[in-house]
Amino acid sequence: MTTHFVRDAPIDARVAPAAAIAWPRRWHRAWFASPAMSALSLLLLALFAFACVRFFDWAIVRAHWLGQSSAACPGSDGACWAFVISRWKPWLVGNYPLAQIGRAWTCFGAFALFWIWVVRRPPAARPGPVLLGFVLLPIAFLLLLIGGGPLSFVAPTQIGGLLLTLVVTLATFATALPIGLCIALGRRSEWPLVRALCGLFVEGMRAVPLLAVLFIAATLLPMFLPRGIDVDLFSRAVIAFALFNAAMAAEVFRGGLQAIGRGQIEAATTVGLSRFATLRLIVLPQAIRAVVPALVNIMIAVVKETTLLSVIGVNDLLGAVEIGAKSPDWVGEANILTSGYVFLALAYLAVCHGLSRYSRRLELSS
Amino acid sequence: MPTDAAAIASARASGDAPILRMQAINKWYGDYHALRDIDLVVDAGERIVVCGPSGSGKSTLVRTVNLLEPFEQGRVQVCGIDVAADAITRAARLAVNRRVGMVFQQFNLFPHMSVLANLTVGPVFGRGVRRAEAHELAMHYLARVGLTDHAQKRPAELSGGQQQRVAIARALCTRPQLVLFDEPTAALDPEMVNEVLQTMESLAADGMTMIVVTHEMGFARRVADRVVFMDQGQIIEIAKPDDFFERPQSRRLASFLSRILTH
Ligand SMILES: Nc1ncnc2c1ncn2[C@@H]1O[C@H](COP(=O)(O)OP(=O)(O)OP(=O)(O)O)[C@@H](O)[C@H]1O
Ligand SMILES: [Mg+2]
Repeated sequence: MTTHFVRDAPIDARVAPAAAIAWPRRWHRAWFASPAMSALSLLLLALFAFACVRFFDWAIVRAHWLGQSSAACPGSDGACWAFVISRWKPWLVGNYPLAQIGRAWTCFGAFALFWIWVVRRPPAARPGPVLLGFVLLPIAFLLLLIGGGPLSFVAPTQIGGLLLTLVVTLATFATALPIGLCIALGRRSEWPLVRALCGLFVEGMRAVPLLAVLFIAATLLPMFLPRGIDVDLFSRAVIAFALFNAAMAAEVFRGGLQAIGRGQIEAATTVGLSRFATLRLIVLPQAIRAVVPALVNIMIAVVKETTLLSVIGVNDLLGAVEIGAKSPDWVGEANILTSGYVFLALAYLAVCHGLSRYSRRLELSS
Repeated sequence: MPTDAAAIASARASGDAPILRMQAINKWYGDYHALRDIDLVVDAGERIVVCGPSGSGKSTLVRTVNLLEPFEQGRVQVCGIDVAADAITRAARLAVNRRVGMVFQQFNLFPHMSVLANLTVGPVFGRGVRRAEAHELAMHYLARVGLTDHAQKRPAELSGGQQQRVAIARALCTRPQLVLFDEPTAALDPEMVNEVLQTMESLAADGMTMIVVTHEMGFARRVADRVVFMDQGQIIEIAKPDDFFERPQSRRLASFLSRILTH
């Protein structure tokens, strides 16, 4: 036995083998490791295949695509996409006047371009321009959609469908983020009253369901406002959304601020930065970068929350389905309403899945 | 740009008063009496090494100098600013920190900024130095710590020793009259300790006033004008390095030295 070992020829680095185990064996191991697992795998695969075939059959093979009334969709063994296709306008823009619809397309187009730009930038890039875009876009959209001046005026309550989801989500985001940040900072204030009020606001909002906040905003808010000032339903809904989600954003920001160690603040102090400069240059850039994925998750929640708007009588996507199914042309088969809901679910799935993929990517990069 | 030696000389000439005078400082963490009747005077150009067992209050001591830690009794006069225990305001802390630099055990570089931005952010946003001037100053000090090539990197791309040298350069960029070091080599891998100690020694050779908390006794012997021994929140002994290591007067220092110097 050697007690003294000396290597005389160094070992050159070698390339890792392509795959230690060939894929059929890996696959076999993952799915059919034991008899019980094999049975379970087969069962789940069969169920999945069955569900896919049934859905495909319903949604594509037996579906009715064209038509202007419920007569186009007899029976209930096929989806009624005619209901969706013929009513594209309420789905997309609600009651927005047809003559002005170019303005709505502009918003959709601008957002699509913005989103493509956001997704294609490297995840590690500075989040500042993106956040600024999220604040400026809804302002621009609302100005364009509501109009006034050279553009003809369109009442905000006429905005509906997917356009409403887009505008409300962006407007909520643009207002809730700054308010949330201020509240999060307020909770760290040296002034006890500010701290208490901000804490009260957040705890209050977290304890109340959003639907209740919406009803309060829709019915109670006008009573608190001075006479003569009339806020339309659309704005009230946006205010309720903004306040509710500001509380959520405040919690997210609070976590981000807490993650910045005391050492960073002390180092900033010792290089001569004032408290405000420390906040602006050292704390906020790091805190905001850390919470961007969580903010995207808030955005996903907001997108889905917009379905609640139909409850207070604003024409969102859900409202468009229900109003459509009640219209004289389309009353009849329950299948028609189901088709509407399935389309709605697919639309939300597409939007939210895209957002969550983006948030996942940001999380992985940080 | 004035050379470092000239800048330091002019700072020294600006007053015969000591750079730091701590008078009867007492500090408590809750019920724990962390600093007890601390009196310490440091003249311009002096190099002070502070050592002592863990928990003896060394960090607390240097952090009261630049008011990072408030204290309950006593007064600190530092770089011409006189702060009593009841007058520790944010303005006082800012004023002191614009004259005193600090290097931390954990570096505390700003991870979201390039090395260069780490160096310029203090001068530009803290003291209103013009960007071009701050940039020039930063490159000057980066060259001094031997990191000119790394100006555009993020701190995370540097080794621990390099990060600590950046932190030293960052402290120098604020043109401090006094630099505090709190165990600057304690978080480093052994092979990186020397590069940081050498940087500090060259700084000392330029005449910078320094207070260094460290367990590097070789550094203390070579560089210190006086060594301070602390235990249980008190200053037990202050002596020149020779006397400190060869002829300790107090039992506590003798036993501390025997514990750390035997191996
Ligand atoms: N923020 C704090 N709250 C409560 N007690 C503290 C705090 N910071 C320090 N102490 C206590 O004060 C005493 C002195 O701490 P200090 O950090 O100054 O010691 P030190 O000499 O620097 O020790 P080390 O060599 O471990 O860094 C210790 O007993 C410590 O537990
Ligand atoms: Mg310490």
